[in-house]
Amino acid sequence: MIAFNCTIQEGVIPEEQREIINQRLVQIGAAILGVPPDDISVDYEVIPHGFGFRGGELSTSSSVRSVIPDGFTQEKRVEFMTAVQDMWIEVTGQTTAELVVGAADASFRPHRD
Amino acid sequence: MPIYRFKVPTDSVPFEQREQIAVDVTDIHCGSTLAPRHFVHVMFDEQPEGSSEFPTPFYLDAYNRAGRPQEVKDKLLEDFINAFVRHTGVPREQISGRIGEGPASWAMEGGQVLPEPGQETAGWYAEVTAD
Repeated sequence: MIAFNCTIQEGVIPEEQREIINQRLVQIGAAILGVPPDDISVDYEVIPHGFGFRGGELSTSSSVRSVIPDGFTQEKRVEFMTAVQDMWIEVTGQTTAELVVGAADASFRPHRD
Repeated sequence: MPIYRFKVPTDSVPFEQREQIAVDVTDIHCGSTLAPRHFVHVMFDEQPEGSSEFPTPFYLDAYNRAGRPQEVKDKLLEDFINAFVRHTGVPREQISGRIGEGPASWAMEGGQVLPEPGQETAGWYAEVTAD
């Protein structure tokens, strides 16, 4: 199972690009991590204009966070994140400065409480 | 990273206040960690009043690279909350927060895998601030 969560700023990534991104993310997850396409999901969260900031200024940044199965090496994780990054830049025209990519193990919990 | 998300009731924090808070949070984070300013992400999530899943009506849900001492994280959280209170006038008892964290090597930003806190090199800094 891979769950992608894409956070984007309102008006920055058009719907037609999102459809391409969905397909490409599934392809990347299947090709690099070997996860069946039916076990890969993609969700979007759109931050309304005026509600997202980067460096103290209005943001145009996107993030693609993913939860991947446990057990992959760091080398494989970087290969996966790099593929996601390269695809995103190709499809959207955004720069690496406008993109955060993450790949966390499924068993990981960020909070101790 | 870092990512700071303020959960607020709908229409409770106008744009000017959000902008001031975002600047302060960026200043506070960079003053403590020497991170590039453009790595600091601040967002505001509006929720209908009374629907919050968090213990206070206003809440800061943050995510950062793991590896900083607890006292540094505690100080950052208190400074962020104080900035929010200062700009909004929200009573201190109505906002709380937490800083979650994960391995730096599980994320890329600026085209680079993030270094562990304290392991940032001049080369990395130059790469990620080149744009």
